[in-house]
Amino acid sequence: MGKTADLLPGTLDMLILKAVSLKPLHGYGVLLRIRQISGNALEIPQGSLYPALYRLEHQGLIAPEWGQSDNNRRAKYYTLTPAGRRRLREEAAGWSRLAAAIAAALRATSEEV
Amino acid sequence: MFARFRSLVRALTSRGDFEAGLTEELLFHIEQYADDLVRSGVSPEEARRRARMELGAINTVKEECREARGLWGFDALERDCRYAARQLRRNPGFAGTVVLTLALAVGVNTASFSLLNALLLKELPYAHPERIGTLYARRSGAEPSDRRRTVDGEQWEHVRDDVPSLLSAVSGMRATGVNIRAGSVVQYVQAGRVSAQYFNVLAIHPLIGRNFSEDEDRPHGPRAAILSYRLWQTALGGQPGVLGRAVLLKGEPHTIIGVLPEGMTTPLNADVYTALQPSREGEGQAANFVAIMRLRDDSTWQQADAELARALSETVRARRLASADPGANVTYYAVPLQKAATDTLRPQVLALMLASGFILLIACANIAGLTLVRMLQRTGEITIRFALGASRWQVQRQLWVEHLLLACLGATAGIGVAWLTLRGLLRLVPERVLPVANVPLDGRVLAFTLSLSLLTYVLCGVLPVLCYRQGDLRSSASGRGVIGGSLRLRQALIAGEVGLTVVLLAATGLLIRTLIGLQTIPPGFNPTGVITAKASLDDIRYHDPAAFRKLLTDSLTALRETPGVQSAAVGLTLPYERALLSTFTVNNGREAGRQITTNEVYVTPRYFETLQIPVLAGRTFTDADNADAQHVVVINQTFARKFLHQEDAIGRYLNTNILIVGVVADTVLSSAGGLNAGAAPLTREETIYVPAAQVDAPQLSLVHGFFEPSWIVRSASPSGVPTQVERALASADLQLPVSGFYEMKDLMAATLATQRIAVAILAGLSSLALLLSAVGIFALVANIVAQRTREIGIRMALGSTIAGTMIQVGGTGVGASALGLALGVILCAGALPPMRSLLFGVGVYDIPTMLAVVLMLAAVTLIATTPVLSVARIDPAKTLREE
Repeated sequence: MGKTADLLPGTLDMLILKAVSLKPLHGYGVLLRIRQISGNALEIPQGSLYPALYRLEHQGLIAPEWGQSDNNRRAKYYTLTPAGRRRLREEAAGWSRLAAAIAAALRATSEEV
Repeated sequence: MFARFRSLVRALTSRGDFEAGLTEELLFHIEQYADDLVRSGVSPEEARRRARMELGAINTVKEECREARGLWGFDALERDCRYAARQLRRNPGFAGTVVLTLALAVGVNTASFSLLNALLLKELPYAHPERIGTLYARRSGAEPSDRRRTVDGEQWEHVRDDVPSLLSAVSGMRATGVNIRAGSVVQYVQAGRVSAQYFNVLAIHPLIGRNFSEDEDRPHGPRAAILSYRLWQTALGGQPGVLGRAVLLKGEPHTIIGVLPEGMTTPLNADVYTALQPSREGEGQAANFVAIMRLRDDSTWQQADAELARALSETVRARRLASADPGANVTYYAVPLQKAATDTLRPQVLALMLASGFILLIACANIAGLTLVRMLQRTGEITIRFALGASRWQVQRQLWVEHLLLACLGATAGIGVAWLTLRGLLRLVPERVLPVANVPLDGRVLAFTLSLSLLTYVLCGVLPVLCYRQGDLRSSASGRGVIGGSLRLRQALIAGEVGLTVVLLAATGLLIRTLIGLQTIPPGFNPTGVITAKASLDDIRYHDPAAFRKLLTDSLTALRETPGVQSAAVGLTLPYERALLSTFTVNNGREAGRQITTNEVYVTPRYFETLQIPVLAGRTFTDADNADAQHVVVINQTFARKFLHQEDAIGRYLNTNILIVGVVADTVLSSAGGLNAGAAPLTREETIYVPAAQVDAPQLSLVHGFFEPSWIVRSASPSGVPTQVERALASADLQLPVSGFYEMKDLMAATLATQRIAVAILAGLSSLALLLSAVGIFALVANIVAQRTREIGIRMALGSTIAGTMIQVGGTGVGASALGLALGVILCAGALPPMRSLLFGVGVYDIPTMLAVVLMLAAVTLIATTPVLSVARIDPAKTLREE
């Protein structure tokens, strides 16, 4: 499985939005998709996935819809709403800025101080 | 924000779907995961176990999902409510006491507020009531006054013609009883006399027909009548063709010109209205008109006040008002009719509200005390909840929910209590005393009840919860440490409520003393065996003195010939009633030339003999004192003392030619006429008696518009009197129905009806206060015994006597009560003096009343401390073994 990283607080919501933005997914699908797109580096604690989904749904960022799963079972699929798309864009931009800033800070050497 | 609200509402409204979906979703997850694990080579059982493990406790996940949806608060509330209901069911004594106390307090307050609402807050039932006013006059000077004023004919002309900002109208002082004959139907009804524009001022448009015209309102104008809807229905069958028909009213034909809409009334509250035809003559010579005005559309009250002041300042009556007090200035102005109409009742209603407020405070103190004890008993339970990880907020929320539940139960029961109280109260009040038709429990009242219950809930709930914050529960596992401090607090609460109770009791005592005083005034005559009957002589036929005298002579002769009748007479008014006010000039002696106003009663010769009023000097009237003879009067003792200074009154003159021939003893009169300001409701006032035969025509028509004379019969067998009087009157005049028979004793009792109601209400409230205080003391002592059983057991094991322990425990209750008594006495000093205007013959600081209060409180305190008797049942050995 390789080395997994702990999730930073506040990033779970962003990752869920990203996963759902690619294609409507059910809860278990979200879990698999995040693992896949992070190159198996990120492991979502399963217990916090569903509360997060319900929170995002409550905020109107994702919308649920009952549909058929691959093995023909009834499952709840989540799609990204326009509000969710906006939120994802903001959070991704914010994250990039933060990551760049932290990377820059870590590159600093003693001469530059 | 909107999305969240919608999502919450959806989750709440289809709660079942939400839960089912949640479960299905989580089970789907577990199965998918387990399938994947099986595919990677794990055994199915192991896969299922691992899938469940990784998701975590499924109920916790569900709970977190619900929380994410905002459902959590509702779930918690529901849980809290259920828990609270269970707690209350488990302690029916506590819950019952609290709910009952609340119900009584909230109920009494709701009832009082309904009265306040109906009497003071509800708008008058006319369009734009804020634009309707009436006339007040403010008098500066040594004896300042500011009250509603009636006007005379001259003033009315000025108000009508010189005040362009107002549409004005006048009416007679009050509706009077008259006989109306429509075809063959004769009814005794209340008639009101109103000027043109009167209904326009009130914005009342007749259902059919029209209002009075200016022409009909002129003296000697055409006689017209407007009927109330009810009279139209009862006397005329509600036929639309009544307009233009004539009815006989006061013996004269009146043309019906209109019918008022159903349910519509006026300040006069009459059944039939006739034109007032005001002028400067007759009744217009004195202030016998009540003015009402409507502000015209483009005017302001400031303009109207200025115009009124200007128009009325130079009138004869304004000058006379001012001259009564040298240097005084009289200013007329307008006051909203709403305020004027409720002025007389305002102090009583506010006092009732205040007394009810006391009850609420007392109830709050009781409930707070009970709740405090309840909390201490639950210390163990709450400690466990803390230990299990409940937050302070969760525990406090639980307690608040319990209080709220109790408050709601109490409020609901309180509305029931209010309804019953109101019904009882309104049954006490005689008809036509309250100026409103009904006292509803409307939206405003219910809103009041709701806020009151919430207030009570906060007042009673804050204290124990605050108390909880102080004591650190975690350290006092069994809660014993908190008891000492709370005992002080509870004693203070009880002292407070006893203090308020003392004030209520003292106020009641003073009113009772006043009532007893008024009821036991020697009447000045012998009421036993006297029956009276009233008949309206407000009839054109009796404006002729000869016809009037013939009616008196014929009816009295017929009565005297009736077996059993000892004596019979007629008088314009009776003792215990208000009398006509008249002005005379004193002609001799020290006060010569002084104009005096006095009660005046016309009587037939045997009036004094029939009522057995003692004659002190001179003679009473005889048949020889007829219209052509020397005009004579008989005065009463107070008149002689006040105006003739005990000099020999007989032989002196009033005005120029009225000879005083006798002096009789005082009788009790109602002071409702307002002759002497600030007089007790029943007093002895200056009175002058004139022979009925010497009353002239203008005077006759005037006084019979105000009063219905009484036929007075002293009989050995009073039961037969009504038929005898009816027969006697019928023999003199077939068309003269009697408007009512009264035994003199009933008439006397009726005069104090309002005082009696006040005493009944206040006595009810103070009994309630006393009961609540007793419950408070009882609960305090009972709780101490229950909580300290172990301590008492140890004391007794160490040699304490039962009696000593009882005194020690009961002392806490008695001490609180004694403290409350002291507090109450101090409160009385502040609260009772405003009652002075209601007290007659008793001072505000009345030692016997206070003694009675102390004795009653002592007795109740002793009864309430009876729980100490259970100390005797405590077995030291057993209590020591228990822990």
